[in-house]
Formats: sequence, structure tokens, C-alpha cells
Amino acid sequence: MYDILPVLDPVLTDDARAWLAKARETLAEKGAAHLPILFPQLARTIGRHGLGGARVQVEDADVDLAAWRACDAAGLVLIQDANPSAAVHTDLFLHGDIEERTIALRALAFQPIGEATVDLLGEIQRTNTTAHFEAGGLDSNLVVRAVDAGGEDAGFTRADFNRFVLKMAFSDLPLERAFDGLRYASAELSHMLQDFATEREAAGRAVWTDTYRFIGRAPTEGTRARLVGGLEHGDDGTRLAAAEGVRDLGDASLTAYAKERLPREPREGIRAVLEAIGG
Amino acid sequence: MRIFEPHAHMFSRVTDDYERMALAGIRAVLEPAFWLGQNRTSVGTFIDYFDTILGWERFRAAQFGIHHYCTMALNPREANDDRVNDDVMAVLPRYCQKDGVLAVGEIGLDDQTAKEEKYFLAQVELAKECGLPILIHTPHRDKKKGFERIIDLVRDSGIAMEHVLLDHGNEETIKVTRDLGCYQGFSIYPFTKMDPNRMTRIVLEYGVERMIINSAADWGVSDPLMVPRTVMKLRQARVPDSDIETLVWDNPVAFFAQSGRLDTAELEWPATANLRETYEGNAVLRGQDPDQM
Repeated sequence: MYDILPVLDPVLTDDARAWLAKARETLAEKGAAHLPILFPQLARTIGRHGLGGARVQVEDADVDLAAWRACDAAGLVLIQDANPSAAVHTDLFLHGDIEERTIALRALAFQPIGEATVDLLGEIQRTNTTAHFEAGGLDSNLVVRAVDAGGEDAGFTRADFNRFVLKMAFSDLPLERAFDGLRYASAELSHMLQDFATEREAAGRAVWTDTYRFIGRAPTEGTRARLVGGLEHGDDGTRLAAAEGVRDLGDASLTAYAKERLPREPREGIRAVLEAIGG
Repeated sequence: MRIFEPHAHMFSRVTDDYERMALAGIRAVLEPAFWLGQNRTSVGTFIDYFDTILGWERFRAAQFGIHHYCTMALNPREANDDRVNDDVMAVLPRYCQKDGVLAVGEIGLDDQTAKEEKYFLAQVELAKECGLPILIHTPHRDKKKGFERIIDLVRDSGIAMEHVLLDHGNEETIKVTRDLGCYQGFSIYPFTKMDPNRMTRIVLEYGVERMIINSAADWGVSDPLMVPRTVMKLRQARVPDSDIETLVWDNPVAFFAQSGRLDTAELEWPATANLRETYEGNAVLRGQDPDQM
């Protein structure tokens, strides 16, 4: 269990520190059923300012505390103290306000995968509140851990993961915030992302850059042509992602396109990827 | 002139109302939890209603630049209903802790039954525990007797009088309440309860100390612009702007700021409105271009 107090304590005011100590005492006395009384008070008593932490790895959890706020960390402390049932944890979200929901979701990143994880990741699939999608699914490897624990049919499944990634694409959220997300690239997901890209292009809108990274890992019909097209795109981020996709695909028939692009590529980082293609 | 509308059931109003209110100077609105026009039959419908006035309604108001706050309570009408009363009381401690909840209310008496008194007193105790003021609904029938009974109950409860807002007052009740030290609310209706001309006469006679006016707009024949309409009548009667501002801004802000949850710096500007944002996937746009609104 991760002890977040050493990171939290320096950013607490005296009043906030006193409130948290009192809240923990009350929780020890009254149990997890008291969490719904304490949770609404977290944001206004502890504060919404940044925690200022760094990326930490605890057992199989990988979490970027730079995305956390002081109230998120205090919420984790209370949840760790109370060890609520899945029903109580889920209820903190379902009947919480915007802030409570965010805090309840952030805490999942350090928790073992369980019923609450699956239920709440399901909730964020249905929300358009970006703050909640971010708090539950990003800045950690929670989603990948959830697929690890789930699988094809149970818990958080590969199909759930595919819908999650598609929602990231829809919201234009960078893949790098879903740690290790490329591990579950699949032909089915590539198909979904390419169809979505085609819709976007038909509407004259930008394609999610990370599409190229996913499809390079798990090609399907149309992948190669899309990757080659990406190498000549006017946007630097798209060209970089396409170059990485070509590299990861490892298809010798695409090497010539990378070599053709190389002399005209102005960006050093992209050139380095192109040079690595084809050995 | 900035206006804090301290009593409007926006749950039952349309977006046109929000727009007109904002244009008329209403910077903030407080939505007391109350009856919905017909009795509810389970606690779940209360919970959904509470979540709505804390969430969606707050978002909807902000879309028009209006800060939205609310109060939480088991209202006196449904305090008489054994299908819901105890179950609602069980969830109230949680909901009274939410951000944006500035008081316990509307509590009080309606038919003036023993059950109403029981749940009224239980909620006064809850308010004391939470450090929140109370917004009291006073009866529309047999009002004077109801007022006097409520005052007795409030006095015996030990809650600080400055934490008490006795709402729906009139020319008769002001004589009873003016020296108590509590705040007095007057609900200005198009035809009933209190109207702008009568309210103007009350202000001219009694002043504005600890007095608050509201529209109590709801699903019935009512008008969420009754406070700005009353402001106009007061100006026509040569009431100084400073007194009017005390009545429609300083007093309600001072009363609800006692909750410790009203950020007065936030009130200096209209609520941030980004019409492209959604709440749980829902917007108020219905397909319209937000840049044209």
C-alpha cells in the first residue's frame, strides 16, 4: 500500500492538516460508512492545489502524482484507512459532486483491481466530463492493469479497453497519459481507429495522432497506406507518430517510403526514427 | 446593480429564464430544496433531485453566467409522508456537506402538524452540527399562528438568531419578527403573497436591515424577475441605491456567507460560461452554435 502522506503533508496548511487528522480519527471510530460525510469536505478543506509529486511505482501500479491535487491525495488516505467495500467506493462516485467523483476515481490508481475498478471504469466510459475520464483512466497504468486482471470475457475486457482508447481519440487525449497503453494494440482496435480517422477526414477534422502508433503495432486492411500517407503529413506530430508506426510494424515493403522521406524531413527527432527503419 | 436571488426553484424553469435573469443583473441564485408539485414516493427520487440541483442545475446556471447555490432539506409538506421522511433524513447529513450547499432549507411548517415539528427540529439540530444557517418556509395558511409557533421552536432550539431566515413574510409577520435578530424574507409574486408595491411600502416604513427579497419562482404562476422588478419600484420611490443594494445583495450574501462556503471573491464576476462544455454529456445548446449565443 502506497503511503502518500510524505508527499501530501508539505502542501497542507495547518487547518487542512488538523482537519485530516480529525477525519481519520472519526473514520477509525465510525468506519467506511462515514466516508460519504467526509468526502464532500475534502476539496474545500484540503484544497484543490497541485500535489507537486512525481511518477511513482508501487507494486504493479505506476502513477504520475503530478496530475494529482492535494484533495485527491487526502481522499486516497481516507480510502486506504477505511478500506471501503466496492459498493461504498462506487457510491462515492455515483452520489458525489464533481470534486468527489474526481477524488474517488483518482484513488483507484493505487488500489488492487476489483469490482470498484470495473464499475467505475464503466462509469467513465459513459461520461463526457473530461475531468472524470482523466481522473479514472489517465496518468497511471490503471486501465492496462484492469485489462491484465480482466481479459476477454470478465471484468474490464479487451473490448472495454478498445472503447476506452476510442474515447481518448474522440477527446483528443494523448496516449502517453495511459501508461503502457500500446501493449493492448489489436487488429480490432486498429480497425476501429482507422474507421474513426476516415470519418474525421471526411468532416475535414484532424485525426488522433496516436492512431498511427496503435495501427503500426497491429495492422489491418488499410494500415500500410495510412502509415505511408502519415509520413508526408504537414503536421510534425502526425509524421512522428507515423514514422514510429512504420518502425514498429517492421514491414520491409515500407522501408523505401521512409528512405524517400528522410532527405526532406526537417525535424531531427523524426529523422532519427526514419533512419532506424530498415536497419 | 448586482442581485443575489436567494430563493428560486430553477429546476422547474427554462433557459430563457436564466438568460433574462442574467440580463436583469442577477449574478447568483440560490435554489432551496423543496416540494416538486406532487408528493414523491421513495427516497431515490429525493436523492436524484438533490444530485440534480447540486450538479446539472449548477452547470446550467453557469452557462448563462449565473452562480448557482442550493440548500438541502426534507420539506415540511413531505415531512408528513411516512413513505419518505425518515429515509430522507438519513441521507441529509451527507448532502448538507456538499460544496454549494449554503443552508439547511426549506424547513419549517406548512400544515402545522406534529410530524412537521418533529422533522423541523431534527433539521435545526442538523444545521447546528454542520454550522449552516437555516431557511424557513412559513405556512401560507394560518400564517401568523405558524410564524409564532416557528419562532417559539427556533428560540427553544438554541440556534443563533442571525443563522435564521424566516421566509415568505408579509406586513403582519414583520411586526412579529423585526426585533428577533433573524433575517426576514419576502417572496414577491405577480399576484399573491407579496407584490413590488407592497414591498416598497414595507421598505419605506421599516428600512432594509436584515431584510431579503426573492421571487420564489417555481413551476407555478411566478416570475423569476420579481426581484429586479421590485428594484425598479424602489428606485421610483426614491429609495437610495445603497439601501437597495443592501436589500438585494449585501443581506443575502451576508446571511449565506455564514455557511463558510460562499466565496465572495467568486461573486465579483459572472460564473464562467463555456458553452462548448457539457455536463455528463449533456449541453444546453440543442445543436446551436455557441458562438452565436
